[in-house]
Amino acid sequence: MTDDTQPRTDGGTALPGDSHDDGHLPPRWSLKRWLVTTNHKDVGILYLATAMFFLIFGGVLALLIRAQMWAPRAPGEGILSAMAYNQAVSLHGLIMVFWFISPFATGFANYIVPLQIGAEDLAFPRLNALSYWLYLASGILVFASFFQGASYAGGWTLYAPLNIPAFMPSIGATTTVLAIVVFCVSITVGGVNFITTIHRMRAPGLTMRSLPLFTWSMLLTVWMMLLAFAALLAAVMILLSDRMLGTTYFAATTAGGSVLWTHLFWFFGHPEVYIVFFPALGAMAEIFQTFTGNRIVGRKWFIVSMVLVALQSFIVWMHHMFLTSINLEVKTLFMATTIGISLPFDLMVFALIYTLIKGRIRWDTPMLYAFGAMVLFIVGGITGVFLGAVVLDYEFRGTYWVVAHFHYVMVSGVTGLIAGLFYWFPKITGKMYDEFLGKVSFAVYFTGFNLLYFPLFLAWGTPRRVFAYRPEYLPWHRLASVGAVILGISFLLIIYNLAKSIVAGDDAAANPWPYSTTAEWAISSPPPMENFPGTPSYASGSLEFLRDDEPTGAAAADGGTTATDGGHAAALESAHDDGGHVDHASYWPFMIGLFTVVTSIGFSGLQTGSFPSGLEGTFYAAASVLGVIGLIGSVSFMGYENFTAHEGGFGETWPFGGVENTKMGMWVFLASDVVLFGAFIGAAIFLRVAYGWTQWHPIPHNPIPGLVNTYLLLTSSFTVILSLVAAQKRSRKGVVASLVVTFLLGLAFLVNKAIEWVVLFQGTEEYAPIALDSSVRASTYFLTTGLHMGHVIAGLLVTAYLIWRAWNGAYVNGDDEPLEYFGLYWHFVDIVWLFLFPMFYII
Amino acid sequence: MARTKLYTGIYVALFVIATMQVGVEQIGLLEESYLLALGLITALSLIKAVMVAGYFQHLVWEPRSVTYVMLLGFVGFLALTVAASYSIQ
Repeated sequence: MTDDTQPRTDGGTALPGDSHDDGHLPPRWSLKRWLVTTNHKDVGILYLATAMFFLIFGGVLALLIRAQMWAPRAPGEGILSAMAYNQAVSLHGLIMVFWFISPFATGFANYIVPLQIGAEDLAFPRLNALSYWLYLASGILVFASFFQGASYAGGWTLYAPLNIPAFMPSIGATTTVLAIVVFCVSITVGGVNFITTIHRMRAPGLTMRSLPLFTWSMLLTVWMMLLAFAALLAAVMILLSDRMLGTTYFAATTAGGSVLWTHLFWFFGHPEVYIVFFPALGAMAEIFQTFTGNRIVGRKWFIVSMVLVALQSFIVWMHHMFLTSINLEVKTLFMATTIGISLPFDLMVFALIYTLIKGRIRWDTPMLYAFGAMVLFIVGGITGVFLGAVVLDYEFRGTYWVVAHFHYVMVSGVTGLIAGLFYWFPKITGKMYDEFLGKVSFAVYFTGFNLLYFPLFLAWGTPRRVFAYRPEYLPWHRLASVGAVILGISFLLIIYNLAKSIVAGDDAAANPWPYSTTAEWAISSPPPMENFPGTPSYASGSLEFLRDDEPTGAAAADGGTTATDGGHAAALESAHDDGGHVDHASYWPFMIGLFTVVTSIGFSGLQTGSFPSGLEGTFYAAASVLGVIGLIGSVSFMGYENFTAHEGGFGETWPFGGVENTKMGMWVFLASDVVLFGAFIGAAIFLRVAYGWTQWHPIPHNPIPGLVNTYLLLTSSFTVILSLVAAQKRSRKGVVASLVVTFLLGLAFLVNKAIEWVVLFQGTEEYAPIALDSSVRASTYFLTTGLHMGHVIAGLLVTAYLIWRAWNGAYVNGDDEPLEYFGLYWHFVDIVWLFLFPMFYII
Repeated sequence: MARTKLYTGIYVALFVIATMQVGVEQIGLLEESYLLALGLITALSLIKAVMVAGYFQHLVWEPRSVTYVMLLGFVGFLALTVAASYSIQ
C-alpha cells in the first residue's frame, strides 16, 4: 500500500499521486512497452536488468578462471584450453568494466537523477532509449564474438601489437572491438543527455550547491565519460582500421605504435576508475546521510573534492605506463600527480568516517553494503599507492598485486552500487526486500570477496593473466577459488531476495527510510509516469509541488535567465494538464540498435579491406549492406518522427541559462568530438615525433587540391550562415538556395578528395602508388582525413534533409533553430579541416 | 541582418589567411626557417579556428560557459598530445 501523503523529512508535503496513465505506452506486462519506451524510469529498469545479466555472464567467466587456477597448470591441463583461458580472462575484464558496472550505475542514474532534480524525464528521451539499445547491441556483439572463431584474447587492456590481426586474427576479436566502438557511442549519447538534463532541467531553487550528492556524482561521472570515452573511441576506431582496412598504426614495426596505444587507452583508462567509482560514492554518501541521520560532514568540501578528482583524473594516466619506454622525467611527474589525486580522496573518506562518528548508525542492509564499500575502497586505495611509486611499480606491475588492488577498488564500486540497489529497490519496485536475507547476503558477500582477493596480495608474485604459478602459492590460490564460489553464492542470495520480494514482498511506503532528504522519497513508490503531482520547486527553501496555476518562481531562481525561456514553463504546465501531451514511445531507437548489430556483424568480416571468400564472405557482405540500409532508414524515420518531450529551462539552468536544450546538447557533443579528432590528430603527431619530425613529409604531392578544398569548406560555412540570415528574413527561396549551395560545395569537397585519393592509389609517372599500409605516414593521412570525410558525408545527409524541409516551408516562421544547430556541426567540421590541411599538406 | 556584412568580412579574412598558409610554403620559408614557418602556419590555423568558432558558431554571443565546454575538449587534446609526445623524447 503506497502512502503518498505522509509528511516529508525536509518539511515539504507529498501530494496524492497523479492519475496519469502511461502516456500512450502499452502496459508494463507487454513486451512491446519495453521495446518502445523512452521513459527514464523504464529505461533505468532496462539498464539495471541488462547489467545484472552481464554480471552473471562475467561472473561465470570469473568462476572458470578460478577453476582453472585451482592448481598450477601447464597448457592443455585443466578445464580450459590455453586460448579459452585467455578469452575468459579478457572478456571477464571487458564485460565487468564496460557491460556491467557503468551500465548498472547508468540504470540508477536514469531512474533516480530526474526524480532528484525535479525533472519529468531526461532532456532527450529518445536518445536515452537509443543509448540503452546501443548498449544492448554492443553486449550482443560481445556475446556473438565467441561464436566467430574466438573472442578477443589479449587482455582487457587490448595492448598493441598483440591486438592486430597478425597476432589476433579471429573475426570474433574484431567483433569484440566493434562492440567497444558501439558501447562508446552509447556512452556519448547518454553523456550528452545527462549533462544537458542536470544542467538545464533542475527545479526552481535547486542550485548546484544544493544538488543531491548522488546527482553531483553522476554529473561529474558523465562529464568524465564524455571526454574519456571519446579518447577510447578514437583508440578503438584506429584499431579497427588496422584490423579491417590494413592501416599500420599499431604494427610491431611502427615506431611508437605500441606506446601510442597505451597513451590512448590509459588517457581513457584512468578516468574510467573514477567513472566506475563515483556513482557508487554518490550512492554511499546518500546512504550514509540517511542511515546516520546526519548530513555528510564537510558537504561543500566533499563536492569540491569530487570536482578536483574529476579534473585530476585526466593528468595521471602515465602511472599505468611506468614499465614502458617513456622517459624518467615524465614518470616522476606522473608519480607526483598520482600522489596529488589521493589527497581529495583522503578528504572524502574522512568525511564519510566522521559522518559515521557524528551520527546514530542504523545497520540496515543498504548501510551494511555502503560501509563495506568504504572499507574495501580504503584497502584498494592504500594498496594502489604502491603502484603509483615508480620504483615499487617496477616490481609489482604485471603481478597479482595489481589484480588484487584493482578488484578491491572496482568491487568497492560494485558494493556501493549494491548498497544503492537495496536503498532504491523500494522506490523502483514499490516492494520492500527481506531485511534478514539482505543482511545474510552481505555477510556472505563480504566474506567471499575478502577470501577471494586478500590472499592474492599474498600470492602477488603470480604473473598476471597466466594460469601457471609457483607451487608455494597453491594455498592462497585455493583459498581464492573457495572465496569465488562463496561470492557467487552471495549474488544468488541477492537475486533470490529481490526476485522473491518483487513477487511477494510487503508494499513499500513512499518513504521507507527515516531521515532521507532527497526528492525521490517525496513521491509514491513506484513513482507515476510524469513523476510529480505538480511542478516541483525549492524556491521557498524546501520541496513543494506547485499547482499548475501557481507561479514557479523560476525567473528569480536563475538570475532572470528563465524569463527568456518562458515558453517552456508553459509547455511543461500544459503537459501536466492532459498527461497525453508528452510522448513516451518510439520504435526507432530499438530499430537503430537492431540494425547496429546487423551492420557490425557484417563489417566484422572485413579483414584488410576485403571480405572472406565463398559463402562466409557473401554472408558478411550482405549483412553489411542490409545493416547500413536499415540504419540510414531508421535514423531518417527517427528524425522525421513527431515526438514531443519535456523542455528544460523552467528552473535552475546555471551555467547554461539561455542556451536551449538541443543547442546545449549539440555543444556538448561537439566537445566530445573535439577529443575524438584531437586523439586522431594527437596520434598522428605522436607517431611523427616517434618517426622523426623532419623526416616525415606530407603524403599529397601538391598542397593546391587541399587549398581548393579549404576554399570550398570555408565557402560552405559562409552559405550555412546565409541560410540562417535568409530564415530570419523569412525568405524560403533564400534558405533553400543557401542550403543547396552548401550541399554542392560539400559534394565538391568530396569529389576533389576522391580524385586526390585515386591519384595517390594509382600513382603517377613521377610518384609510386601509395596505399593505406604503405607506411605509417600514409596510414595517418588516409585515416584522419577519412574520418573528416565521414563527418562531411554525415553533414551532407543532414543538409539534404534540411533542403527537403525548407522546400516544404520550414524554418521561415521563427523556427530556424535546426539551421543554427546544423551550422554548429558544419562549422566544427570546417574548423577541423583548418588544422588538417596544414598538418597533412604543408608542414 | 546587420551581421551579414560582418559574416562576409570574416569569410574574406578566412579566405586570405588560408591562402597565406600556402604562401608560407610556396616562398620556401619551411626550408629556410622551419620552426618559424611551423609557428606561423599553426598560429594562422588557430586564428582561423577562433574566427569561425567565435562568429560563425556565434560563440561570442553565447554564455561564456559554452566556450569553456569547448575549451575543456581542446585542453584534453593538448594534454594528451603534448604529454605523450614529450614522454618519448
